Amino acid sequence: MSTGTPAEFDPYLTAIIANRVDGIVREMTHTLLRAARSAVINSARDFSCSICTGDNELLASAEGLPIHIFGSHMQTRAMADFHGADIREGDCYLHNDPYSGNTHAADHTFLVPVFFEGEHLFTTVAKAHQADIGNALPTTYSATARDQYEEGALIFPAVRVQRDYVTDENVVRMCRSRIRVPSQWYGDFLAGIGCARVGERRLKELCAKYGKERVKTFIRDWMDYSEQRMVQAIRKLPAATLTNSGAHDPFGTLLPEGIPLKVTVKIQPEAGMIDLDLTDNVDNVDCGFNESEACATSSTVAGVFNSIDSTVPRNSGSFRRIKVHLRDGAVAGRPKFPHSCSVATTNIADRLINIVQSSFAQIGDGWGLAEGGVGMGAGFAVISGKDDRSDDGAFVNQLIITGAGGPGAPAADGWPTYALPVVGGLMYRDSVEIDELKHPMRFHFLRILPGTGGAGRFRGAPAMELAYGPTKFAMDVLWPCDGTHFAPKGVRGGQDGTCARHFRVEVDGSETELPNIVNIRLEKGAYVRGNHTSGGGYGDPRQRDPRRVLKDVLEGYETETRARDLYGVVFTGLVEDETLDIDPAATTAARRALTS
Amino acid sequence: MAYRISVDTGGTFTDVIVSDGAGGFVIGKALTTRSRIFLGMRDAIEAAAMQLDIPLGKLLAEADLLIYGTTRATNAIVTKTVAKTAFVTTAGFPDTLLLKEGGKFNPHDFSQDYPDPYIARRHTFELTERMGADGVASIPFDDAQAREVISRIRTRGFEAVAVCLLWSIANPAHEERFAGLLDELLPGIPYTLSHRLVPVVREYRRASATAIDASLKPLMQDHLRGLESDLKAAGFAGQILVSTTEGGCNHIDALVEKPIYTVGSGPAMAPIAGLTFSGLEALGDDVIICDTGGTTFDVGLVRDGRLTFTRDTWLGPTYTGDLLGISAVDMRSIGAGGGSIAWIDDGGLMRVGPQSAGAEPGPACYGRGGTLPTVSDAAVVLGYFDPDYFLGGRMKLDVEAARRAVMSVAERIGLSIEETAFRILSLASDLMMRAIADITVNEGVNPRESTIVAGGGAAGINIMTIAKELGCERVILPKVASALSASGMQFADIVAEETASLVTLTNRFDAAAVNEVLAGLEARLETFRAVLPGEKDAYRIDLVAEARYLGQVWELDTQLPVRRFTGDADRLALVEAFHQVHERVFAVRDPGSPVEVVNWKARLVVHLAKPPEPAVVATRVEAGAPTARRDCFFGDRTPLPTAIYKAADIAPGLVIAGPAIVEEPTTTLVVYPGMSAEVSASGNYLLRTA
Repeated sequence: MSTGTPAEFDPYLTAIIANRVDGIVREMTHTLLRAARSAVINSARDFSCSICTGDNELLASAEGLPIHIFGSHMQTRAMADFHGADIREGDCYLHNDPYSGNTHAADHTFLVPVFFEGEHLFTTVAKAHQADIGNALPTTYSATARDQYEEGALIFPAVRVQRDYVTDENVVRMCRSRIRVPSQWYGDFLAGIGCARVGERRLKELCAKYGKERVKTFIRDWMDYSEQRMVQAIRKLPAATLTNSGAHDPFGTLLPEGIPLKVTVKIQPEAGMIDLDLTDNVDNVDCGFNESEACATSSTVAGVFNSIDSTVPRNSGSFRRIKVHLRDGAVAGRPKFPHSCSVATTNIADRLINIVQSSFAQIGDGWGLAEGGVGMGAGFAVISGKDDRSDDGAFVNQLIITGAGGPGAPAADGWPTYALPVVGGLMYRDSVEIDELKHPMRFHFLRILPGTGGAGRFRGAPAMELAYGPTKFAMDVLWPCDGTHFAPKGVRGGQDGTCARHFRVEVDGSETELPNIVNIRLEKGAYVRGNHTSGGGYGDPRQRDPRRVLKDVLEGYETETRARDLYGVVFTGLVEDETLDIDPAATTAARRALTS
Repeated sequence: MAYRISVDTGGTFTDVIVSDGAGGFVIGKALTTRSRIFLGMRDAIEAAAMQLDIPLGKLLAEADLLIYGTTRATNAIVTKTVAKTAFVTTAGFPDTLLLKEGGKFNPHDFSQDYPDPYIARRHTFELTERMGADGVASIPFDDAQAREVISRIRTRGFEAVAVCLLWSIANPAHEERFAGLLDELLPGIPYTLSHRLVPVVREYRRASATAIDASLKPLMQDHLRGLESDLKAAGFAGQILVSTTEGGCNHIDALVEKPIYTVGSGPAMAPIAGLTFSGLEALGDDVIICDTGGTTFDVGLVRDGRLTFTRDTWLGPTYTGDLLGISAVDMRSIGAGGGSIAWIDDGGLMRVGPQSAGAEPGPACYGRGGTLPTVSDAAVVLGYFDPDYFLGGRMKLDVEAARRAVMSVAERIGLSIEETAFRILSLASDLMMRAIADITVNEGVNPRESTIVAGGGAAGINIMTIAKELGCERVILPKVASALSASGMQFADIVAEETASLVTLTNRFDAAAVNEVLAGLEARLETFRAVLPGEKDAYRIDLVAEARYLGQVWELDTQLPVRRFTGDADRLALVEAFHQVHERVFAVRDPGSPVEVVNWKARLVVHLAKPPEPAVVATRVEAGAPTARRDCFFGDRTPLPTAIYKAADIAPGLVIAGPAIVEEPTTTLVVYPGMSAEVSASGNYLLRTA
């Protein structure tokens, strides 16, 4: 059959090849998930696979985490800059340098250049958050690190780890000598390379099937198509300049006021462009919260994607229509060496996503989102210690058992599995039993904290609360929480979410409230308990459908008191025997009273 | 004559296959009657009886076995008409069913509410107790509190109880104690205990399976018992078995006890049919099974003659639906079929699905008011269906409506209607091809070395192009393609499975403990076996380890190389068997790593039917003049004169060269230009894509 000349856009063949490329990314994802060793990868899916072109444009990133999507092309560019003509088939590069395109040092990224008929056509990218990277402290989020030296991670600025498909054992020995629980790291290393190699094999098959020229035409067309989709999405928005601000929590005496953040979003529907201006932000801070260029960009771009047609492809084609302005040496910009970007993927990045998506709500009803819950609290802690059940061997891992509540949206409530703005509900969560099997620990509870979701016409998801401690030896517990001081905000009359709070509980039951940044050692019998943040509400809670309020109370997401005081919904009957029902007259009166 | 009847009650049609014991099969079809399943079943059996030229009563009286497949449980779940079920779990952990395992597909989509848990939070009860991973209770079971919970369950009128406590798999004492109290205080209330149903680690999987199972108990008990008495009243005196999602069939008693195994049991029969037909045509035991419906395309695999299983079957969407949790035949479903709608998006790209015209209004060609172009409309435009002979003449197709619908897309992309229609069909085929590629890739199977067996009335439209794209050279379209699941039941074995959780590392292997577990599993199955029909020795018990490298969390099914571990060589053989499975699936092995076995499974297989012997090869005959010719399109602007063969033209050995179309009463086969089809001695179509 006729396939059209390569010069013209072929709506059929472009769709077919795009499906294939998507399938390749999904196969890479499957491989990494199933073969990896650390729970943070194989249980929580804290990784992303993508395919870049030979000239360093991001082509496909199906199922990738929002914070990971942007920047893999910067990493392949670093590979090209550093190795130039020396790059050849059979190579694999390890990259985790936040100063040359990576998110943060904990995301080890494997880059495999894909050659066809002697030409470097693609690079496959497998980026995975490691359980440990050899930091000075046993955490992959070093909030306290004054600079990259104190952070202490091994840094690989596109270092070749395979040539002719053979691993350079020097690198393996270096990592084994520095990274905690080396066998776990090595298993993830094998899985990461295997994943990038699977992508390589499939891309070669694709080229063999369609021919080099056809594939090149596809790349051009797919980028143009994605750009066109983005233009269409932007044209649906009104012209506007939206300035929005927020702040990261204070941090001890170093940052007593927290970190103020500001983004200006300029929507130009006629030109089909969106400008994101982050230049009006403070200088780098002497701790691990600084954004890398990749994270500053990814997070703000993700905020835009959250606010437009969610089916627009995420690649360099659609990114052409978003211009991000960053300032050198800014905390939310391009970092100045040697500042630490250890926590770049979450805390400030989460706030930036919130600032952008909630700025869109300024346009009017039906636009944008409330702020999603922020902060990696106890449910996201990095735990480590010795395990009496395996010859007192060492363990280290990040828990991903529960996170923050999702934001209220124009027509839907927030999701309890949202976790963080930077992952947008995409990550899986651990199982209590698997965590207890793999680590010498026990959970005391893990549940919804009723009456905590930011009230709104569409409410934020309620907060989650949990408690856990070690079963035998002492356990180190570290987390860099946000949202303990500054709650996620509601929009358009919606209320703010709940702040995070955590406590240390001693063997005798006495409790001490913990600060947001935690580094503690728990002895047997002691435990931590606390709650993550909830999501902000969207719209006036008094306009919430009373039937939704009724369901919330029956299901235990909301309390009767809040239903009356915030939502103006009054009931008859009882929750206990499910006879609870709306009292229409009293509800109308209550809502009127709340309005006046 | 010892007839064997298999019945597959789908949402719309009830398919019946009757075998006469001498290798002959007939198909009967009738509309499914939801209010009383037996009525539709009787009509379909009667339709089959007519083809055998005997009265219904005689067929029923002389049949010695009836195998029943049902979507009753699935429908009850979809329509939320299951029993009012209480979910009883460990205090402090009420949200297991709500939070599931996390995950979603599109991180930027905030347009949907979070799905409700399978059992509402208000129907969740927390027990004061806590078992640890080591099987030691850190909080003892509180009898008084449990009695108080049961009292509330009684007062509030619950019809079933699902009990899933943390670490009941390490020590079931607390679940057992609660069951004892239920027996005492609410005698007769149906309940399910998680450690008995699915003794696997990961509380959500266990809780979800337990909740689903308990919620089905009252209605499936009524349904199966009712059907049993209806059949007896109609004069059926043989044995009744029910097909299961384990890829076999079992007693009504067993399924009243574990009704979750009837969920998805229809599609689970298709791989058995696939394996049987591949064997019959001597095409090996690596088989890909495809079943094309109106709205979904299902794919499954048989590797080395064994069905493939998964614990990741979702009812509803992946991540946000409800996980079945039990080990079930791995049939994956994608939303692509005759009803999938073609459209051009705002970037100018051509798309097919995920929207579907469904059954109402259906494709434009059905003439029921549909105007959007579907895959079926594309096939009509291309001339692949005889508009007057669709479904054996039971439905007339509106060609003009189909052309108008496809025209709407053709105008957008500047091609002729026929060129556009071919692209619509090809895009749908590509989605189906990708679904096959996904499942084979995940299992490390090479489609080029496998045989495709295609089922579903519409499978013949594009199975040859799909096979060609996959590089698959062996393709069978069975004569009974339109009733693939029912035909699978004809060859199903009785299958029962027992699982035990015993976490064991191969570098500190406790052979005695493992042997004890294996012996226990086998003993339970032997007891069960003793009361089953079938030849005394015609059974086997397969032993499987669900294993992984230490530190991984996803297990791979590994066949045990020995029945008991006696020496170090046996242990090493297990380790090597796992390395091989891991390498096949993930392309790498880690020889230095210990292997961790999480669950031990024993699977009893009792053979009911002998697999048919490969038929003698039919002498090839080139097809003579066809019944008719008509113009069909195969991607070009101009049509090709295409030979049309009817059922009466078909005889074993016949070789049909493309372009040609074969129109049978329940299936249509398109033989593309350059391809050919051969009728085997058994009457199945062997398709050659090159």
